[in-house]
Amino acid sequence: MNWQAVFIGMLPEHLLLAGALLLIVVELLSRRPPDGLPLALATLAAAFLAALWLAATGHAGEPFPGQLTVDPAAFAGKAVMLGLAIPVALLARGELEGPRPYLLLLFSLYGACLTLSADSFLTLFIGLELLSLPVYVLVMAGMRGPGSAEAALKYLVLGGTASAMLLMGASLLLGATGTLAIASFAAGLGAGTPLATAGVLLVVAAFFLKGAVVPFHAWAPDAYQGATVPVTAYMAAIVKAGVLLAAVRLFGEAGVPPALVAPIALLPLVSMAWGNLAAIRQSSFRRMIAYSSIAHAGYLFFAFLGAPEGRFEAVAFYVIAYGLMNVLAFAALPAGADDAAADRLESLQGLYSRRPYAAITLGIAMLSLAGLPPFPGFVAKFLIFRNVMEAGYTGIAVAGLLASYLGLYFYLRVLQFAFMGSASGETIPARRLALGASLLCLIPVALLTFFPGWLLERL
Amino acid sequence: MAEATLLNYVLWLPVLGMAALLVLPRGADAAVRGLAFVVMLLQFVLAAWLYGQFEAGVAGLQFETRLPWIADWGVYYHVGLDGMNVLLVLLTAFLGPLVVAGAVNAIRQDVKLFHAMVFFIQFAMIGTFVAQDLFLFYVFWETMLIPMFLMIGIWGGERRIYATLKFVLYTAFGSILMLAALIYLVWSLYEERGALSFAFTDLYGLDLPMNVQAWLLGAFALSFAIKVPIVPLHTWLPDAHVEAPTAGSVILAGVLLKMGTYGFMKLGFPLFPEAAVAAAPLFMTLAVISIVYGACLALVQDDIKKIIAYSSISHLGYVMLGLACFDLLGVQGAVIQMVSHGLVSAGLFFMVGMIYERCHTRDLAAYGGLAKAMPVYSVFFMVLTLASIGLPATSGFTGEFLVLVGAVSAGWAQHVAGAGSTTLVLGVMAVLGVVLGALYMLRFARLFLFGEERLPGGHAVADLGLREKAILAAIVVAVFWLGIAPAGPLAKTESGSLQFQQLVLGDAAGGAP
Repeated sequence: MNWQAVFIGMLPEHLLLAGALLLIVVELLSRRPPDGLPLALATLAAAFLAALWLAATGHAGEPFPGQLTVDPAAFAGKAVMLGLAIPVALLARGELEGPRPYLLLLFSLYGACLTLSADSFLTLFIGLELLSLPVYVLVMAGMRGPGSAEAALKYLVLGGTASAMLLMGASLLLGATGTLAIASFAAGLGAGTPLATAGVLLVVAAFFLKGAVVPFHAWAPDAYQGATVPVTAYMAAIVKAGVLLAAVRLFGEAGVPPALVAPIALLPLVSMAWGNLAAIRQSSFRRMIAYSSIAHAGYLFFAFLGAPEGRFEAVAFYVIAYGLMNVLAFAALPAGADDAAADRLESLQGLYSRRPYAAITLGIAMLSLAGLPPFPGFVAKFLIFRNVMEAGYTGIAVAGLLASYLGLYFYLRVLQFAFMGSASGETIPARRLALGASLLCLIPVALLTFFPGWLLERL
Repeated sequence: MAEATLLNYVLWLPVLGMAALLVLPRGADAAVRGLAFVVMLLQFVLAAWLYGQFEAGVAGLQFETRLPWIADWGVYYHVGLDGMNVLLVLLTAFLGPLVVAGAVNAIRQDVKLFHAMVFFIQFAMIGTFVAQDLFLFYVFWETMLIPMFLMIGIWGGERRIYATLKFVLYTAFGSILMLAALIYLVWSLYEERGALSFAFTDLYGLDLPMNVQAWLLGAFALSFAIKVPIVPLHTWLPDAHVEAPTAGSVILAGVLLKMGTYGFMKLGFPLFPEAAVAAAPLFMTLAVISIVYGACLALVQDDIKKIIAYSSISHLGYVMLGLACFDLLGVQGAVIQMVSHGLVSAGLFFMVGMIYERCHTRDLAAYGGLAKAMPVYSVFFMVLTLASIGLPATSGFTGEFLVLVGAVSAGWAQHVAGAGSTTLVLGVMAVLGVVLGALYMLRFARLFLFGEERLPGGHAVADLGLREKAILAAIVVAVFWLGIAPAGPLAKTESGSLQFQQLVLGDAAGGAP
C-alpha cells in the first residue's frame, strides 16, 4: 500500500473523517449539546478546498489499486458536492439541533466521495450505502409529524431494494465477466449475452431508483415532503449529484449499444413527462420540487446516450447548475413554526412585496430550473440535448425537449405566487443564515450566467 | 475604429440601469422614474448617433464586436448592425423613453421592479436584433419572455394571469422546437465543415437536402409565426394585449411582434433558401389570410384595445407578404412597414391607455364625440388613424405601398413567365385588404371621436397634459418622417434587403429588378 497516495489522494475524505471524529469528541466532552455548525462548516470548507486544489493540479493516484483510484474528474465531482454542501449546512441552522445532524451530513458526504473514486463494485456499494444511510436518518430526524416516519421508511425500503438490485447486478456481471471491477459493467454493456445484459439492466435500475427515475420514483415525493428543508436540499442537490457522477464513472468509456438505447432512453423520457405533469398538481413546494427532481433525473440520464467523452462535462455542469438552483430556491423559502403550512405554495403569495430579495432569487432559481436562458439551467439542458442529438438520436432528443416544455408551467406558477399574488399582510420570517446560503449560490449563478464558457473549458 | 464599441454601450446600458436601480431605496419612485428616463433617453441618443454614422450601401456588418463566449462550442458574443436591423434598433431605443414617460401615472405598484423589467426587455430586444450568432440570438430571444411574463402578470388587467401564461406557453412552445432545429443545424454544419460554429454567416452557406430544410424551416417558422403572429397562431395576442398594461402593449406591438418577422428575414428564409422558395406561396397565402382575417375581426370588436390588437395582425400580414414575395421593393417595404407599425400601433396603444386612465373602460360603446371634449387628443388620434390606414405622407403609406408594389410586380412577373398566377391573385387580394383597413379604423374613429358627445360616467375629462402631448408628438414626427422623407431610411436598409434577396434566391437573382 502506498501511504503517500493514500494520504494525498484521499485528503478530502480524511478531512471529512477528521471533522466527524472531532464532532463526536466535542459532543462527548461538553455537558450541553454543542453547536455543530461551525466545525461542520470548517470541515466542509477544508475538504472542498482540498478537492478543488487536487482537481486543479491534476492529481491522479491509486491509493488502493483495484478498489479506489483518484483522478482529476473525481476530484472535480467531489469539489462540486462538498461545495454545494456548504450552503446546505447553512440552511440547517434553526432546523436541526445539536451536532448529530452535521455528523450524519459529513458521513454521507464521505460516502459520496467514495462512490466517485470507486473502482470495484464493493467500494461502489459501500460508498452508496454510506451516502444513503445517514440520509434515511436525516429524513426521519425532522419528525415534524407522522409523515416523516412514513417517508423515511419508504425511502429506506426502496433504498434497500436499490442496494439489492445493485448487488444482484454486480454478481451477475461477476458471473459474466469474472471480475468485480466496475469495468465489468462497461464490458457487460458491449457483451450482448443474456447474463451480462441482465446484470447491466439491474445495475442501471438500481441507479434509476437512487436517482428517482419513473417508475422507481415513488419514494421521492414522500421523502422530499416529509424531510426538513435542509435535508430536502441535500437530497436534491448532493445525493442526486453523487448518484449521477458515480453513474458516469460506472459507464466509463463505454457507449450505449443500440439494443439498450430503448430502455435507457425510454424511462428517463417517461420520467421527464410524468415528473413535469405531476408537479403541476402539487400544492406543497417540496413535493413539487420532488417531481421536478424526477424530471431532472430524466434529463440527466439522457446524457448517457451521448458520446462517452462528453458525458462527464454534461453531467457535471448539469449537477452544478441544478444543485445551485435548488439550494437557492430553498434558501428563499419562508421559515415557519408550522412546517407543513410554510411548505404550502400559497405561503409564497405576495413574497415579492414582503421580501423582494427572496422573491427574486426564487424566481431566478425557478426560471433556471425551467431551462430558460439566460440562466445556467439553459446551458446545462442545451449541452445534454446537444450530446443526444450528436449521437444521432434526433427523435429522442426532440421528444425530450417537448417533455421539458411541459415543465414550464409549474415553475412559472411559483413566480405567479411570488410576484403576482397580493400579500396577505402577515410578515414571513426568513430562515436564519439563509442570506449567506443564498449568496453562496447566487454569486456562482451570476458567473455561470455570463461566463458559462469558463467552466465548460475546465470540465 | 473607436466607435465600434458604441453598439455595446447601446446594448448594455439597460443592464447598467438595472444595477443602478438596485442602489436606489425602495419607495423612491420619482428617482426611479427619473433614472429610467435618463438612461433610456441616453440609449436613444446613442442609437440615433449610431444610425447617423451607419453607412448606407455597404454590405456586411458595421459596428461589429466579436468575442469568444463559450469557446469550446464555437459560440461567440458577436453583435453588429446591418441594413436589416439598424432601423429596428433605432425603433426600439426610440420607444424606450416613451414607455417610461407613459407609465408615470399608470404604474403605481412596484415601480422599481417595473422599470427593472423595462430595462430588461430593452436589453433582450436589442440583443435579439443585433446578435449575429445563433446561440446568442436564441438566448436573447428566450430571455425576452421573462420580463414580458412579469410585466403582463403583475401590472395587467383582471385576467392577467391567464393572458400572461397563455403568452409564455404559446411562444415557448415554438421556441423549444426552434431549439431542436438549432442544435440539428449546427451539428449538420459540424459534420460538413468539421468545426463548431453558430455564426449566421457560416450557417447561411450550409448545403442541406430539401427534406431536412423543410423540417428545419418548419421548426423555425413555427416559432417566428407564433411571435408575428400569423393566423391561425394568433390567439394569444388579443388576450396579451388586452390584459397588458399600456407599457406592455406598446412594447409588445411596437417591437416584440417584429421579432417574428425579423426572424423570418434574418434566419428563417435565408438559412433554408430552397425550402423557403418552395413554401413562399404558403407563407403568402397565410399573410393574406392574416391581413383579411385580422381586419375583419378588428371590424367587429367592441373593446378599443382589441381593435388595435387585431389591426396588428392585419398589418404584420403585409410585412410577411413583402418578405415572402422576395421582390426587392417588397422586402424594402416590409422593413419600413415593421417600423411604421411599431410607431403607429405604439402610438394608438398609448392613446388607448390615456383614455383608459381617465375613464376606466375600454368599451367602445361607452364613448362618443370625444372631438368636442378632448380636441387635442382627437387630432392626434385622427393622425394616427390615418397613418394606420396608410394615407400618403404617413409611414403607413410608404410601407404598405412598397409591399403591394413588390407583391404585385413579383406576381406579374411570374404570371408573364407562365409560372402560375397565385402570387398575382394574392397581391391583388392584399390590395383589397387596404380597403378593409380603412373601414375598421374609420368606423373606430367615427364612433369614438364623432357623433353625440358621450363619456363614461358622464363627467368631464381633461384633455392631454404636456407629458402626453410630448409622447404623441414624438411619435407623430417619426410617422411623418418615414412618410415624407423615406429616402434616407430606405437607403440605409437597402443593403439588408439586397442581402436577404441574394441569400434566398441565390446570386443569379441579385440586384434590383
